[in-house]
Amino acid sequence: MRSALRNPYVYALFVIPTIGLYFLFTIYPMLSSAYYAFTDWDGLNDPKYIGFHNFTTALQDPYFQNSIVNNMYFILFSVFVQVPLIIMFAILIGSVKRLQGFYKTTVFVPSILSTAVIGILWQFIYNPEVGIVNKFLGLFGIDTIYWLADMRYALWAILITNAWQWMGFYIVLVLAAILAIPRELNEAAEIDGAGGFQRAIRITVPLIKPIISVIVMLSIAGAMRVVDIVLVMTKGGPVSSTEVMASYMVNRAIRYGEYGYGTSLAMLIFVIALVLTALYQLTFGRTKEEVTY
Amino acid sequence: MIKGLKMLLVLTLGFTLVLAGCSGTGSKSDPKPSNGESTNNGGKETPGTDKVEPFTVSLRHIQIGDAQKFRKALLNDVVKKTEDEIKGLKFELDAVEDQVNRYTKLPAEMAAGNPPVIFDLFGGMGDAQKYAKAGRLLELTPILEELGIKDKFLNLGQFMVGDKIYGLPIGGNNEGIFYNKKLFAEHGIAAPTTLEELEAAAAKLKEAGVTPFAMGSQAGWIPNMLVNTLIGRYAGPDLVERVSDGSLKFNSPDIVAAYSKYEEWVKAGYFTKGELGLSYDQMLNEFLNSKAGMMFDGSWRSSAFKNEELAKNITSEDVAYIPFPAVPGGKGDQTYVNGNYGNGYGFSATLDDNELKAVKAFIKNMYNDEMQLRGLLEDGVLPAMKLSADAMGKVEDPVVKQVLDVAAASGGAFSHFEISIPSKVYTETEIQLQAIIAGQATAQQAGDAIQKILDAEAGK
Repeated sequence: MRSALRNPYVYALFVIPTIGLYFLFTIYPMLSSAYYAFTDWDGLNDPKYIGFHNFTTALQDPYFQNSIVNNMYFILFSVFVQVPLIIMFAILIGSVKRLQGFYKTTVFVPSILSTAVIGILWQFIYNPEVGIVNKFLGLFGIDTIYWLADMRYALWAILITNAWQWMGFYIVLVLAAILAIPRELNEAAEIDGAGGFQRAIRITVPLIKPIISVIVMLSIAGAMRVVDIVLVMTKGGPVSSTEVMASYMVNRAIRYGEYGYGTSLAMLIFVIALVLTALYQLTFGRTKEEVTY
Repeated sequence: MIKGLKMLLVLTLGFTLVLAGCSGTGSKSDPKPSNGESTNNGGKETPGTDKVEPFTVSLRHIQIGDAQKFRKALLNDVVKKTEDEIKGLKFELDAVEDQVNRYTKLPAEMAAGNPPVIFDLFGGMGDAQKYAKAGRLLELTPILEELGIKDKFLNLGQFMVGDKIYGLPIGGNNEGIFYNKKLFAEHGIAAPTTLEELEAAAAKLKEAGVTPFAMGSQAGWIPNMLVNTLIGRYAGPDLVERVSDGSLKFNSPDIVAAYSKYEEWVKAGYFTKGELGLSYDQMLNEFLNSKAGMMFDGSWRSSAFKNEELAKNITSEDVAYIPFPAVPGGKGDQTYVNGNYGNGYGFSATLDDNELKAVKAFIKNMYNDEMQLRGLLEDGVLPAMKLSADAMGKVEDPVVKQVLDVAAASGGAFSHFEISIPSKVYTETEIQLQAIIAGQATAQQAGDAIQKILDAEAGK
């Protein structure tokens, strides 16, 4: 056996099929997109090379700029609203003594539902006439709000739905880290007179910093590629107010048949995502110091 | 020895994996000769022998949901009849929602070169003509000549490139105003015949707390129907020709006047509140539940009023259908209606012999006097083919009768401007109209924005 494992051909035998598939389904499409991004391919006729024309058009395209801004809202919302809430809920669930499993399962449920189901569910919740949100606001005399039809609210409505869908998943991740913290630390702090809030801020949060860093990065990456919830709930409308980069790209490529332009948008999205995650890694995401208990 | 055995085991495992992987990809092409791939096969099987090899033909349709159940029943009958005629044929029906098929699925399949054999297709520059020019559609002229029905169609313009035919409309329609007779009587409103009367009716309904016009603008094509007719009134019935030759611009006073009228009605609150979040079906429900007094829609909607599963509050007897009235200062014949023969079936360009046989039989069974008459009587869709006056006289549905009356009283029909502009420009008209509805753009700004895209496209 040992000699078999020392034989490089055996390794190759296992690795080559995977590399082949990886090349076929990842590398080759990426290379061909790189080519199509420089053409005016409409999906039907032969592509014609047009240099950087697609990219210069994209950077001046007001609808694309608008969708970049909307993606930024997604990022800001997930980093500054979602992540603190995730940590808060994880700490709360981590400190309950009874029914912890129940809470864990409950918060996790939304992330196993399909986005189509969630979109339709929340369309009912936001329904202007029979939706629970307007019914509740109506108790305080607030006028009917057309959540998904009003440009002022549609993006917020989607941000909240998106947060609801994914928070549970991250809460469970953070919870696992919290439960891995040795109990003695908290007990010692308690004996020293630290209250619940102080223990959370001074002991738990610093000890789970690495996982927080990971969920922030996952949130940024997730916010960059968000598209399904938008397509299900508003299709980018009303008047492009909820259009995100990916939904705009899909529209341009498939609905308008501008595959060349669409792939150039896809490459720009890739570059923006790369720059943002790199920036995060180089600044806040640095977790050089190992956490030691 | 043991080492060797283990080595052998590892190698066998590796090869099994590789073989398993290969067999997976290979089996895909096995079950049936797919598009164009094996014309020999199809030719060889028939001669002399009685043995028929079963084959399948994919058929994409958009007849989904209660509102389409009459049309679906017609399709089912054609499918059954065709399967009985052609030995071994089995249709694989693929139901896809209209907008998804038209704007997402079919374009992607056309790009990949693997559309279904028979599929629902719209006419015009953005659809049938674009695909035909790229060689993706089967040319039907010889088939129609063979079947002897080439000259029976009323209007194939939207499916033609030059003098070649690439698609067949399933029926025709015109667009106008449906109104709820019960609600009108309740509020003492007479059938409006002029724009002033129409606006007075809307104001009166609004005052009484009834939505004047049911509207669902989540998809831009729905409000665009009304805008299209408004343009036909203000700019004249030759709008399609003039938009396509560039003599009628979207930011010209005529088209802006149409958008302004729409904007005026939005501001007056004549449409359903929150319309930007409502779908086409929700708009219909609004009307069927007597929440709205009127609805601007295509004549194909007439079958919904006799569908008991949908219309619980009103029946066909309670619905009237009138053309959009003349507008003051409007150009050209003001009795024209927006009439189209725009939706039907197209066929893949790459077919083997069997598939071609199936397509011919499908066309024969779908496009004949009997089916066209059934479409009119059962589904309220105007025939796409010439029917005898006798056949047309069989119509009993009160709404369809009015639709026919409106068509007969009109000076002629103009099409959707959609068929004369690239899909990118058409989408801009949808976005700009939604911007007007959201109060984000004025009529003039919308017209300017659309014209800008149109100019850019024309310059390409």
